[in-house]
Amino acid sequence: MKKYRIIYILSVCFLVIGVSSCKHEGEYHSITDKIKAESKAYNGVSVSSETYLSEIHTIEITEGGETFLIPERESQIKSFKCTECHTKPVAQMTSKELQRAHWDIKLDHANSNTMNCATCHNGDDMDHLTSITGNKISFNKSYQLCSQCHTKQFQDWTGGAHGKQIAGWAPPRASMTCVNCHDPHKPHFESRWPARFNTEKVKERE
Amino acid sequence: MSSNTKKWFSLNLNNKKPIQNKSCGCGKTSGGCESHNNLDAATKKDGFDQVFDVKMSRRTAFKQLAASLAIGAGAVSTSCSVIAGDDSKEKAQIDWEEQFKGNYKLMTDDEKKATVDRLVRSYQLRTGKTLNMSSKNAEENVLFGYAFNISKCQGYMDCVTACVEENNQDRNSQMEYIRIHEMKDGKGFNFNEADDNYYHEVPAEGHFYMGTQCFHCDNPPCVDVCPVQATWREDDGLVVVDYDWCVGCRYCMAACPYDGRRFNWSKPEVPEDEVNKNQHYLGNRLRKKGVMEKCTFCVQRSRAGKNPACVEACPTGARIFGNLLDPDSTIRWVLENKKVFRLKEDLGTEPKFWYFMD
Repeated sequence: MKKYRIIYILSVCFLVIGVSSCKHEGEYHSITDKIKAESKAYNGVSVSSETYLSEIHTIEITEGGETFLIPERESQIKSFKCTECHTKPVAQMTSKELQRAHWDIKLDHANSNTMNCATCHNGDDMDHLTSITGNKISFNKSYQLCSQCHTKQFQDWTGGAHGKQIAGWAPPRASMTCVNCHDPHKPHFESRWPARFNTEKVKERE
Repeated sequence: MSSNTKKWFSLNLNNKKPIQNKSCGCGKTSGGCESHNNLDAATKKDGFDQVFDVKMSRRTAFKQLAASLAIGAGAVSTSCSVIAGDDSKEKAQIDWEEQFKGNYKLMTDDEKKATVDRLVRSYQLRTGKTLNMSSKNAEENVLFGYAFNISKCQGYMDCVTACVEENNQDRNSQMEYIRIHEMKDGKGFNFNEADDNYYHEVPAEGHFYMGTQCFHCDNPPCVDVCPVQATWREDDGLVVVDYDWCVGCRYCMAACPYDGRRFNWSKPEVPEDEVNKNQHYLGNRLRKKGVMEKCTFCVQRSRAGKNPACVEACPTGARIFGNLLDPDSTIRWVLENKKVFRLKEDLGTEPKFWYFMD
């Protein structure tokens, strides 16, 4: 009987030591546990990106449950509104006397079965973009046009995995919108030479 | 110097820990876990104590004394001299105070501000130009993290250029914190065959690009090996170096499994008109010969709420930076919704730098 009691006491002691020392050494098993635990008490930070954003004109949007800022577009288009020139529907503006503008745009985006000018532009309403089903889309929210096909990228963009963040990490969140990086008429990135070449590294490795 | 039982010499610096506010398992210097209770009871050492009140060999002691005496003699001769101008007297005074200042990690906020003011004044006396140096501490509720999209990176290296310019890196040795590795498709992360110094049109056919830099490990091996505690982990997760406390032994360089650290083999040179004057004591202030340096996630920018220079420069949006403790941050979305992984996760270093693909 006495022997059992000793074993019992010993095991309780070990348990107590084990638990307390475990807590002491490393409180969390991994960084993800730590992030999860410590962000429970998160109540904001004192720094803000607002001052860095003051130079650009932004609009607030809510997509996929996320609310964030994107650059405003209409005021940045040189000759908005489009109807200032496009006084008539495009079909009636083919005469040679009219001044030619953006005639050099070549569509290099998907193939001709999928896209032509009218996929996004409506010849009868040049001040707005048009969805596949013919709904009006504002130039400020052109991402709604892209998201019709690029659903995966759109999802990543609303979350923040695609598209560059503007200004800083501190709230409020501001992201570039699709057309800030991709030319909608030619959306791929060009290949080019790297910004630099390290000649010292070459010497070191000789 | 060494204990009698051992057959090798080891400095006694770490055995004698009067202030034990850094080596806590939870990684924080206050609150959180229970091991911070006796923090305030410990007595503080001033700079003089930190330099001289350590067990050292006669040779080191003489070296320290000689260095200090040289500065002291300089200070005395200029301050007593009738010919020396006010400026050189002030400069001597600053040199004297800088020589005997303590480890930045142990400084109070006032002491931090004082050393920063001295450094700014010293630069002004030397060059006649003013700079803006910050000693801003880590923010509450912030833990910095980074994500890198390997399907987006095109290998343009704009990040590297931005980093060099932002952080006043030595132009002579072309020091770079960031390395962009060009890797063959279908071979995974094969660093043996990767090229980190390519020069041809990018992206090259059949290749992908990934960047490495300091990963600001949550369990940083470089910090453990430092014999003088000149490098440590801040509360917002940044692993930083006190360039004025570093002795240049390069243990940390050897301990880092990611090649995140750089050494100044020669006096770092930055052309005067290219010096970034927006500085932080722990960040991009001008370094000297014989000290370590590394990426600090641009502490001078990130503690002000901005993104690091590499994030801002990237034209593809492959680089994502943010606060891991903010559940609404984009970095958290990436960690929770993308398939992320880290380099050499098995080492237990817990880098706060994740890779992911579209």
